[in-house]
Amino acid sequence: MRLWDWFLRRQREDDLQDEIRAHLSMAARDRIEAGEDPDRARQAALKEFGNVTLTREATRRSWGGAWRDGLAEFAQDVRFSVRVLLRSPAYALVVIAVLALGIGANVSVFGLFKGLALKPIPGVEGSARLGVLVARTAAGRILPLSHPDFRDMQRDLRSFERLAGTSMDAFTIGYGSRAERTFAELVTGSYFQVLGVRASLGRTLGPSDDVAPGKHPVAVISNDLWRRGFASDPAIVGQTIKVNGFPLTIVGVAEPSFRGTIPGLSLDLFMPVMMAPQLRGVDLLAVRKAPMLWGIGHLRPGAGTTAADAEAAALWPQVATRHDTREVDQRAAVIPMWRSPFGAQTYMLPALALLGLMGVLLLLVVCANVSNLVLARGVTRRGEIAARIALGASRGRIMRLLLAESLVLALPGAALGVLTSRALGFLLRNNAVTVAGFARPFIDASPDATVVVFALALSCGASLVFGLMPALRSSRVNLAGIMKDDLSPRGGSRGRLRDALVVAQVAVSLLLIVGTGLVVRSLRAAQTADTGFDARNVASLALDVKPSGYDEDRGRAFYQRLLDTARADPGVESAALASALPLMLVDGSSHALEIDGVPPQRGEDRRVPTNVVSPDYLRTLRIPLLTGRDFTQADTPSVRLVAIVNETMARQYWTTPAQALGRRIRIDGGPWRFVVGVARDIKYARVTEDPRPFVYLPLDQAYKSDLTLHLRGRGAAGLLVRAQALVHSLDDNLPVLAAQMLSDQTAVAFTVFTLVAGVLMTFGVFAMILTALGTYGLVSYAASQSTHEIGIRLAIGADRSEVLRRFLARGLRLGIVGAIVGVVTAAAASRVLSSLLYGVSATDAVSFSSAIVVVIGVVLAASLLPAWRASRTDPIAALRHR
Amino acid sequence: MEQRAAVTRLDLLQGTLDMLILQTLQWGPQHGYAISQTIRSQSSEALKVETGSLYPALHRLERQRWVKADWRISETNQRAKYYRLTPTGKKQLLKERDRWDQLVAAIAGVLNPNPAKG
Repeated sequence: MRLWDWFLRRQREDDLQDEIRAHLSMAARDRIEAGEDPDRARQAALKEFGNVTLTREATRRSWGGAWRDGLAEFAQDVRFSVRVLLRSPAYALVVIAVLALGIGANVSVFGLFKGLALKPIPGVEGSARLGVLVARTAAGRILPLSHPDFRDMQRDLRSFERLAGTSMDAFTIGYGSRAERTFAELVTGSYFQVLGVRASLGRTLGPSDDVAPGKHPVAVISNDLWRRGFASDPAIVGQTIKVNGFPLTIVGVAEPSFRGTIPGLSLDLFMPVMMAPQLRGVDLLAVRKAPMLWGIGHLRPGAGTTAADAEAAALWPQVATRHDTREVDQRAAVIPMWRSPFGAQTYMLPALALLGLMGVLLLLVVCANVSNLVLARGVTRRGEIAARIALGASRGRIMRLLLAESLVLALPGAALGVLTSRALGFLLRNNAVTVAGFARPFIDASPDATVVVFALALSCGASLVFGLMPALRSSRVNLAGIMKDDLSPRGGSRGRLRDALVVAQVAVSLLLIVGTGLVVRSLRAAQTADTGFDARNVASLALDVKPSGYDEDRGRAFYQRLLDTARADPGVESAALASALPLMLVDGSSHALEIDGVPPQRGEDRRVPTNVVSPDYLRTLRIPLLTGRDFTQADTPSVRLVAIVNETMARQYWTTPAQALGRRIRIDGGPWRFVVGVARDIKYARVTEDPRPFVYLPLDQAYKSDLTLHLRGRGAAGLLVRAQALVHSLDDNLPVLAAQMLSDQTAVAFTVFTLVAGVLMTFGVFAMILTALGTYGLVSYAASQSTHEIGIRLAIGADRSEVLRRFLARGLRLGIVGAIVGVVTAAAASRVLSSLLYGVSATDAVSFSSAIVVVIGVVLAASLLPAWRASRTDPIAALRHR
Repeated sequence: MEQRAAVTRLDLLQGTLDMLILQTLQWGPQHGYAISQTIRSQSSEALKVETGSLYPALHRLERQRWVKADWRISETNQRAKYYRLTPTGKKQLLKERDRWDQLVAAIAGVLNPNPAKG
């Protein structure tokens, strides 16, 4: 395209040259015919023609495409800038590196944002605009729809082009001799068509896999599982995979880019929802009050989320008439993908917003710093610029040239940004598995066209920000002054501008450091927060006996034996089983709760998370029992059914823990259970969660086949290995699905904090270094400008320490002004932070005061060297200089 | 704003040259040198067209598709670029002449006020 343009232009040039040549030769011939001497005729013709170059230039301009000329001129400027910068490589390298860091940081954050919000579902076109159909209770809680409700809505809802239903769950999968725990989706027949995802091998699931309950024992696996579990076996189609012990035939492998519809997670398996009864062990397909499916689909063109939501709300009453009246007050609702309650965006987006904000601040510091450098360089280039102006260049032309130079400095930043973004994408992909147990996090942070465009736009923006002011200033030179070889800066205004840039840097650095301080202190608070349980020295082993062929009776017997053997081990202090682990970031399943004698208030949605535990669970995790008793082996299915509730639940419904004992509750419409104990609250899913009701059910009265063995050791090393050996001593073939120390597992809960704190600290340190450089440069410059004056002062008897004080004071003054501006801004802006903070107030005095100390300290330290140098000035040399 | 004002001012000047060129081409295709010679001789040497204005004007007219250009061999056996009027160029010439007549009449009106009308 550009080559073609260039070619056309070239041809036109030649054309014009020929035309002018023809003109001249015809004019000369006319003169010769009139009797002139040929040589003189040619000269006369040339003279008459006038300035050939000027004519050509004027004609060229009439070819139009002013932008094309502009582009050519710009290309020329760029070439010139590159040449000029190559002549001072140190300056160019420093500026380019500083800019690249600032831009790179922002592009990387943007890459994450893209992966979470702009393209939340890899492999699906336009996934950010997907609508999600949910049920919203009167209390504002978002739940999945029940299977029958979903089918009704799917049939009648017009706002979606097509709607698919999906239900995510953890499953134990077995293939060959291996077994593991993984997240998978149960989906309706339209799922793959709705998302436009194809199979790279075999077929996807279709409507024919969505006909009758229990009749479609098939599955599509992810490319990831295919590679990881089957070594990319080309003959995968037709093989069997066991899901929770139930055999399914693999019918296809999904295309590599697709990883399921939970943002931030990589899912391995897609199975027909019609198989849910077989796979989950309970048949809820026809139960209207059992939340099960999220609806997902592209909205029709022109139908926004709001319109779709209105339609869902309007349709709901029809569906609701098929419900029992006693149920929770809820309705169908449509929400945009990024607000859906599942997936990483729920906890990552606020953190990203903060990082983005801080990234912009960092870039501002970078720009202020570079601006200062460019400004200083502008002084040395005044001669050149004055010459250009003297030769007739307009001020606009000079500015364009200087801005082109800025762009040349900033564009490598875009390239580096894209590269760091790429590296980050890589890092996320390869380190993900180790971070979060068996859930496989996946955020596609690798750069795509959007990221590249963002990087370019950011560089252009940055080059304007740091280049405009110096360009404005440099292009306004005093010709007369330059001609008189006066290269000193004019008046105080230049100094004021540089002062302002340093003040801005100090202020923004302070903002960054306050933010970092707040997040780091939050991290500390969260890490030392009372989670309510003691995760140290506890090994956790995830098991599932059902896939290994244990029915309920044999399973119960096995688990009892396992506990007995473990407790007999001298290295084990106590042992217990539980169905859920604490602090896994995701809310476990929650269940409908009924309380005898306390009817739900209108609009109240009584759902409560539960954990099925064996006796001794509370003791093993050191969760104090406030009143009543723990479960015992006597709590068998044949005696009175019991439950333990947490303190919050006891206080909420029965005012005191003691009052709760002996009351009756019911879970999911099951049998009534008596409350026999009240346990203290712990942090169940997240460190930052609010206190909420929680129910423990005894394992013997609510059997589950997938459980996690918790062993509290006596402090000896090798507890994990010991625990695994213990399991294998009872059943050599039973796979251990995940084995981790509980403290490692719960460390995941701090991932977001740690990540944000780490990045912010890097930003903060970087900003401080830049500010120090800026201050150092300013004070050195001021000192070098007043060498003469210092010389005079010293000569007439001034004290050296006085000179030192004077330049230190100069830096300090700027530092203080900057700090004040920064503190005021930070105080105003800290409200933005509060959603990310834990255990510290957004106006935390420690964070603010330490930031002030750090910033002023750095400014002072940076002024010290140039100030000291100034005080060492040799008066003789200084005075001889002029 | 500023630019538009400049264009109107230039328009008058350019327009005049454009009109003269178009008028010259009415009698058949011509190359640049011949056009300048024709204008010069027909204005009895009063109007001398600068090449610095002529060639930009020709190329501009070509861009606006009022003239079309091709390379031919002249009667003196010289390869030259000949310009010829296009149908739209003819229409444009009529329009410009019209405007010119109005302008002349208007200026004449100002210079020789007619008391009977006033």
